[in-house]
Amino acid sequence: MSPNSKVQRVLITGFGIVSPLGGDNAENLNSLRNGVDCVSPVTAFDVSKTRCRTAGQVPNEWLKEPMTRKNQRLDRSSLMMLQATREAIRTAGHVVPQLMVISTSSGGMFNGERFYRSLIESRPRAGAARAVANYMAQKPVLDVQEKFGWRIPSQIISNACASGTNAVGHAFQLVRAGLYESVICGGYDPLSELVFTGFDSLQAATPEKIRPFDRDRDGLVLGEGAAVLVLESEHAAAVRQASALAEIVGYGISTDNYHLTQPDPSGIGPKLAMERALADAGLDPTSIDYVNAHGTATVFNDATEGIAISELMPGVPISSTKSMMGHALGGAGAIEAVFSLLAIMHQFLPPNINFRQPEPNWSFRVVGNREESAKVRRVASNSFGFGGANATLILQAA
Amino acid sequence: MSFFVQGVGAVTPLAATAEQTWDELLRGTEAMRQPLPKGFGDRSYYYSAVPPKFTATAGRQPRLRRSGEISLLGVTAGLAALADAGISSDEASQGAVVFAIACGGVVYTRRFYHEVITEGANVASPLLFPETVYNAPASHLAALLKINGRDYTLVGDSSVGLSALHFASQLLALDPALPFCVVVGVEEADWVLADGFAAWRMASNRTWFPVFGAKQGTILAESAASVVLSRSGSLRLLSTSAGLPFFSQREAPDVLAKVVAEACDKQKPAGILCSANGTFADRAEETVFRSALGTVPVYAHKPAIGDSLGASALLQLVLAKFALTQQKLPPTLHTGDRLQTVTREVTEIRGNEILITSVGFNQQVNAALVASA
Repeated sequence: MSPNSKVQRVLITGFGIVSPLGGDNAENLNSLRNGVDCVSPVTAFDVSKTRCRTAGQVPNEWLKEPMTRKNQRLDRSSLMMLQATREAIRTAGHVVPQLMVISTSSGGMFNGERFYRSLIESRPRAGAARAVANYMAQKPVLDVQEKFGWRIPSQIISNACASGTNAVGHAFQLVRAGLYESVICGGYDPLSELVFTGFDSLQAATPEKIRPFDRDRDGLVLGEGAAVLVLESEHAAAVRQASALAEIVGYGISTDNYHLTQPDPSGIGPKLAMERALADAGLDPTSIDYVNAHGTATVFNDATEGIAISELMPGVPISSTKSMMGHALGGAGAIEAVFSLLAIMHQFLPPNINFRQPEPNWSFRVVGNREESAKVRRVASNSFGFGGANATLILQAA
Repeated sequence: MSFFVQGVGAVTPLAATAEQTWDELLRGTEAMRQPLPKGFGDRSYYYSAVPPKFTATAGRQPRLRRSGEISLLGVTAGLAALADAGISSDEASQGAVVFAIACGGVVYTRRFYHEVITEGANVASPLLFPETVYNAPASHLAALLKINGRDYTLVGDSSVGLSALHFASQLLALDPALPFCVVVGVEEADWVLADGFAAWRMASNRTWFPVFGAKQGTILAESAASVVLSRSGSLRLLSTSAGLPFFSQREAPDVLAKVVAEACDKQKPAGILCSANGTFADRAEETVFRSALGTVPVYAHKPAIGDSLGASALLQLVLAKFALTQQKLPPTLHTGDRLQTVTREVTEIRGNEILITSVGFNQQVNAALVASA
């Protein structure tokens, strides 16, 4: 395994997304630009005993796979991944990927829940084998490959809420080094009762509106979705005359060893990830036109990310698109990479909705409530997670 | 660009260290089987547990005081591999961590969800939930090593260890300044996990299981195995891959044959460390070994230790180091008669290369070829 001595440009030639903002790329763009609040009361499971009772949800009717007998066996994770991949291939044209690098945090947890409930309630074993198969985190990736007629290696990264950015970032590095010409990358996470209750038990989830970077923020809401990007070397894209939608130019990863769930209050974790991404891209912080922040709206997470951005990129406009759809965990980094791509393609800054008042000591500017037209050439997209996992991607206009 | 195993570590139901585990396997020792704490209905399963004293040192770390068994196992094996590699605590912070996990912290996950649905979401423990996350064990090891850089967790089936090995070699290839990766495969066991395997008809309800014989299903085991992958060491990686999928069990032999052919690249290894576990995996492996590697001796460790899922493929790699050093393979326990080349006693090997194969329980196969450096 030897990287090419000549560094390859890494082009994004296709993308697909399913999120609470929409079932396809066009719907996501429309909701993103219009600052649509896509958080709604949870319907998938009982939330009568949790503080938080809302989430960003993908309605089942948006998952449009034809209901063949085999498709009826696919779970929501697979359906979301299939739909996102179909959009990505539609935008990329005929691409033959060599590798899939996909992220998830909770995998098929809701299948595990279904299996466990069937045990507790002494229900018949029918369906148990399918629930267990779909519990496995790689199953949606294998379902995608089977549907598209691919048989290629896959790597499933699970670095909590940073996973999506890690997956795209690792794929980027592989293509840039010439180890692969064409990689499908992205991530998914469906809503599940266990994870929803887990964040509620930590009192990290809010019963109110999610207000990232607001002075009065008091917690996150969860979301779900899937997003997929097609990354190709400049050479591979040229061979098949594919258009570049944008390119990825930098990736940084850091680990904050402070605590399993709490970030180091100094902001060193996010700052290191951003510094490393900028160094990887050979860019100065002032060259970043917009930061798609991790912005979960918890008191501590936004505080540490706020310190890091203030120190590194004073004055930069930022927003957290989680304000519109909640936090899709292992899928979030991939979803937000797509939102960052859309900001570059359509030259706008996505809004940070439900925003009222900034913290006085932060030096960046929150893009509050409405989209802004802007010259957007370079975007930094942040993702941070449990275990001190931090990652930043830098996207650039092609 | 070549990469090497610089150090190995393991903690298994048989022994507290990799070397002791190897010695027990050579002696033909079978790990003690005990019933998994009772679950639901009248179904019962056995497993092989790691005695708590084997992970007691890790358990004394303040960071790990509330963590699950899976973290204690992973940290124990990871630190052992670093010690074996001669990497000091100061040097350790310069490396990267890559974990391989199949099912993760199933014990805490089951306990947390049980509280949610039996006592109510309002009383579920906030102490348990963070430890249910797949990357909790990796983050604990990274924190103990003071690594502030790369820390990844890969998930998959029982072949994920080889995928993680390949991933680690990618990290080393991508950054010439990265001195090493500590790669850890780890798994814990729970009644619900065994019952899930039973739903697939892949769990044995006896205290032992045969390989390359009648398909009786497997027995789970706790374990962790770790290697330090770097740019020098005693074991050279000749070939690794991210693996390939199969979409039905019928396809598994053909896909394995392709992966093995690519790994071996027309070379004939001196021995094979395989993943046979009493399920369809045995059929896939015996088909490929018979047709492509006719006389090469085959060893399967799972009848002795149990199937430790995410840890198992890296455990095979750890055992490969000892097999090459000592030029012998242990006896495979409870061997059926479907594959004549499987070791039935301590078997001498002649040669410098070992093939490791892994047929995962959920549609992935992988292989790696290693040699004495």
